[in-house]
Amino acid sequence: MNDEKLTWKNDRWIKPYLAKYKWVLLLAIFLGIIMFFCGGALMFYAGYTIDKAATRPENIFMIYVPIVLMRAVGIGRPLFRYLERLVSHNWVLRVTSDLRRRLYNIVEENSSAVGSNYQTGSLLSLLTEDIGHLQNLYLRTIFPAIVGYLVGFFAVILLGLFSWPLAGVIFILLLVELFLVPLFSLLKQAAIRSKEKAEKASLYAEYTDQVLGAGDWQISGRQQAFHDQTRHTVTDLGKNQKKSGEFDWARDFFLEFIFGLMAVALLYFTNKSLTYNQEAANYVGAVVLALFPLSDAFIPVAQGTEEWHTYSDSVKRLNEMHPKKEVLSKQVSLNPADFDDLTVSNVGFTYPGEDQPIIKDFSLKLKKGQKAALVGPSGAGKSTILQLVLGDLAPQKGSVELNNIDVRMLQDERAKLFSVLNQEPFLFNTSIYENLKMANKKATADDMMAALEKVQLADFVKNLPDKLDTQVAEAGARFSGGQKQRLALARVLLQDAPIVLLDEPTVGLDPLTEQKLLKLVFNVLKDKTVIWITHHLQGMKYIDQVLFFKDGVVEMSGNPHELFKTNQHFHNLYLMDQGSL
Amino acid sequence: MIDKRLFKLPKAKIMLVMLAGLTVLQAFAILGQGIFLARAIVGSWHRHPFSSIAYNVLIFFLMYLLRQAIAWFQKWYMNHYAHHTTNLLRSQLLDKIYHGGIALSSRVGTGNLVAMLLDGMDEVSNYLSLIFPKIIALAIIPWILLVYIFTLNALSGWILLLVFPLLILFMIILGTAAQARASKQYAGYVKLQNHFVDALRGLGTLKVLGLAKKYSQVVYKNSESYRKQTMKVLKVAILSTFTLDFFTTLSIAMIAMFLGIGLINGNLILYPSLIILILSPEYFLPIRDFGNDFHATLNGKNAMAQMFDVLSFETPTQEDKLPDFTWNQDSKLTVNDVSFAYSHENQDKFKVNKNAKMTGIAKQKQEDTKHYADELSHINLSLTGYQKVGIIGPTGAGKTTLMRMLGGFLSPNPKPDNFTINGTQLEQLDQKNWQKQFTYIPQEPFMFADTIKNNITFYKPDASDEEIRQAVHEAGLDNFISSLKKGLETPVGEHGRGISGGQKQRIALARAFLAKERKILFFDEPTAHLDIETEYELKKTMQPLMQDHLVLFATHRLHWLKDMDWCLVIEDGKIVEQGTPADLAKNGTQFRKLTQPLKEGAL
Repeated sequence: MNDEKLTWKNDRWIKPYLAKYKWVLLLAIFLGIIMFFCGGALMFYAGYTIDKAATRPENIFMIYVPIVLMRAVGIGRPLFRYLERLVSHNWVLRVTSDLRRRLYNIVEENSSAVGSNYQTGSLLSLLTEDIGHLQNLYLRTIFPAIVGYLVGFFAVILLGLFSWPLAGVIFILLLVELFLVPLFSLLKQAAIRSKEKAEKASLYAEYTDQVLGAGDWQISGRQQAFHDQTRHTVTDLGKNQKKSGEFDWARDFFLEFIFGLMAVALLYFTNKSLTYNQEAANYVGAVVLALFPLSDAFIPVAQGTEEWHTYSDSVKRLNEMHPKKEVLSKQVSLNPADFDDLTVSNVGFTYPGEDQPIIKDFSLKLKKGQKAALVGPSGAGKSTILQLVLGDLAPQKGSVELNNIDVRMLQDERAKLFSVLNQEPFLFNTSIYENLKMANKKATADDMMAALEKVQLADFVKNLPDKLDTQVAEAGARFSGGQKQRLALARVLLQDAPIVLLDEPTVGLDPLTEQKLLKLVFNVLKDKTVIWITHHLQGMKYIDQVLFFKDGVVEMSGNPHELFKTNQHFHNLYLMDQGSL
Repeated sequence: MIDKRLFKLPKAKIMLVMLAGLTVLQAFAILGQGIFLARAIVGSWHRHPFSSIAYNVLIFFLMYLLRQAIAWFQKWYMNHYAHHTTNLLRSQLLDKIYHGGIALSSRVGTGNLVAMLLDGMDEVSNYLSLIFPKIIALAIIPWILLVYIFTLNALSGWILLLVFPLLILFMIILGTAAQARASKQYAGYVKLQNHFVDALRGLGTLKVLGLAKKYSQVVYKNSESYRKQTMKVLKVAILSTFTLDFFTTLSIAMIAMFLGIGLINGNLILYPSLIILILSPEYFLPIRDFGNDFHATLNGKNAMAQMFDVLSFETPTQEDKLPDFTWNQDSKLTVNDVSFAYSHENQDKFKVNKNAKMTGIAKQKQEDTKHYADELSHINLSLTGYQKVGIIGPTGAGKTTLMRMLGGFLSPNPKPDNFTINGTQLEQLDQKNWQKQFTYIPQEPFMFADTIKNNITFYKPDASDEEIRQAVHEAGLDNFISSLKKGLETPVGEHGRGISGGQKQRIALARAFLAKERKILFFDEPTAHLDIETEYELKKTMQPLMQDHLVLFATHRLHWLKDMDWCLVIEDGKIVEQGTPADLAKNGTQFRKLTQPLKEGAL
């Protein structure tokens, strides 16, 4: 899509949120550090207590202070861990709310009211998953890294108080553990991880072929070929996964090895510099034992860093989403009651990045109350025409006007002028009442029942357990495709806009249901101006003008009644549609 | 907690023995590590020079490395095992899909099947390689350490031993409390969770209603209430981790205190005390690991259970009873009082559950729109030679189910004489020699992610170029192919992206034209979703193909009946009328009920 390289500098999805809630983030980091210090301190004081006690002091009060401290940090460690997890989750969920709002806004700017462009379905769930990945990136990569670094930093400072050479050695070992190994494994695994991803993608395609094409495979009788199809990719993927696994395990061992060296260094230096008297020697065990609980802070840094490869695609994808920079011309106002005519004149449109125009030349003039049907193959650009009519897209050539006003100047009040009935009616996951209320804030329950009456759903709704307040999801099981479409039609009626666009509302319904719905639609929309996209000729009798659109141009158009008499081709098509040819 | 079927996996026993051996070894490495670390520290405490403790430090370090090396080997071994097992599962699943394909995917959902084969396998692999080592570690390591600690100091041993059941008890209590809290809020929770996807999917409608911009605030607010709800649940849920930590640190503090007192009183000496202190965290480590990874493996556990369920799905075992033959003018298929019912598996249990994350929404949607009639009852039918049979009926009446049963994709209720082909009695039609007789063309023929050429030669991979050229020509694809830069070698995108509905049908027709020896054609609504002009053109291509073929044609589009010489009317899984189309038009009440209202008359 976009060749812009993802760098920390031009990132727009991670950085801003680290800054935005920085106090909560700092609190979480602080708690994380305290937690590790409590863990270390527990073993420190425990070690000291025993060592000190072993010198047989006269009375127990000599070890009283370390015992109290030990209990304190013993309670502190689980407590701070608990708080740290709460605060960090709270923080990441706060960020998520922001991320969602932002994603919503961008998708909103890029989407249109009609047509199921690629925004629906898979891309949407992909984007939602991306946000989930971003959450993990914060919690599993960025956060542990920050905490790990700071714990390491403070550990080195504290050790410096005992012995500078020791602090130096530990610093070098930590540098390897926290910086060099993570960096090396990040770079080293990049190639193999992207190979894995590619293999997974092709495996996904192959499996889809196998599952969706299972019937065809069975008929073909090629069972062996069926098995062989994925074998190659599966083997390759297995090899790569093993390779990257082997690297990970070796790396983990190496990390533990470095950690072991730290323990050895501690043993060596404490022996050298803490044995000048017995009181100092009591601290040897304390210092050495305090190291072990810190492995939980250090080891995950490299593991988390490598997880970047899991999330990088998500970050990239989100960063590639750009808000649409579009300046609408000055908006004017048109009273819906004054709407008189809709004129589309010689419109041409090419999608950005395509070399062929999808619409070469399209014109249509509709007076108030007139109805047009648009017939053509899928992908010919019928939905694009509706998007142009709505003003979601701006034509490169020609114009779309309402009462001689460019539709692009009417976008602020568009909801008052246009209504749409889509291929798949979308009902929000709330009550029927709320769904209808969305169409018209002022609508009362009576208005709603009146509209439902018109679309012949009133009885159905009255029989639902909570009437209008029934949740759509609960009623969903009881809604047939035709009923959903009629509920959406009630919404259109409540919206009461003078122009209604019908985007193949009967696709997927069986012919009898289709016929009834069409009759209903054109009955209740008698006074509206309608543009109707359809793929066959059922319902032509309601139409003033039919346009056959193909390869970017209108191939045949006219009043269907006249065409039937004068145009042999249309005549034949109509008879075939009726089943009598 | 653990699926018993896990232990029935091949080589599970060997793996468990191997793992147990490794874990025992590891436990002794941990012991050694603790002992020699204690020795080194005691040496320093006695203010001995480093040279006198260097030996102990070295052994400590080696023991430490041995322990890590075992962990390394364990990971390698478990991965190897998991890889083998998933490969086996995968090939079993593929066999299921090959034979039970359509029946299976209409029950389980295609999206779910693909997810199971791909991500499901990874999750299972992860699950297998984590769960066994954790269980074995929990079963072995603490107890070896505990026995050793008892030999050093009984009081410490008792403290550690008694804390263990207490710890588990608290975890269970808290786990149940969290569960209760979560399920109390569940409905609202799910709603909030899905709200975001709902808003994105409903954007078009929001735009139409002029609410899209304002709705951004609603999205934010809902997400914030979701956060608050989640935090409420989390507060309880992570208490179990808190308990684990709390008991661990507290018992360490307690042991250190008692050891200190013992040392002051002279009942103890430093060396064994230090060992106990070093080993105490190790004693708790396996249970902590188990608790931490438990949630990580839940997905894998669910995926595994689903896979076992799919594998137990009954599919016809292909018994090839039918001798080789070629359908011709005199061939005869009789369907004798055949009934069919889907075994009523609950599809919900196959919904991919990613721990209540917001996925699978799009997948669900595509599944929701397809409803197949569940049953066929008492079908009697006789098909001979090159008959052309139309099948009509309302949506959901069972047209597709009937076609699929005749294709052998679904097995009817068992009965030895369900079908008779040229005198051979058959229970079901999943017969190699039957399936190679026909071509099946559905509403939207499936396009493989391969070249156009390979899609056309799918039934006949060894077709010659001349045969392919001929088929392309007969299917009316000449212009389309020559408009493509790479011609026949043009790759078809996933799901046939970039190829229009009409062209897909033509490619499927080319498959049929190419496979000349297949003398039966199944058409299932081949033109239902095409625009009228494309349909008109396509009909001209299909008519010649249907000559010299037995044709079964399910359709809503009545004009096709003109080309049929027999017609079945199906309702509620039964054949309610059959006859010639002309007869039915006159006398068929059901036929007239279905067809008459559609005639809108001349314009």
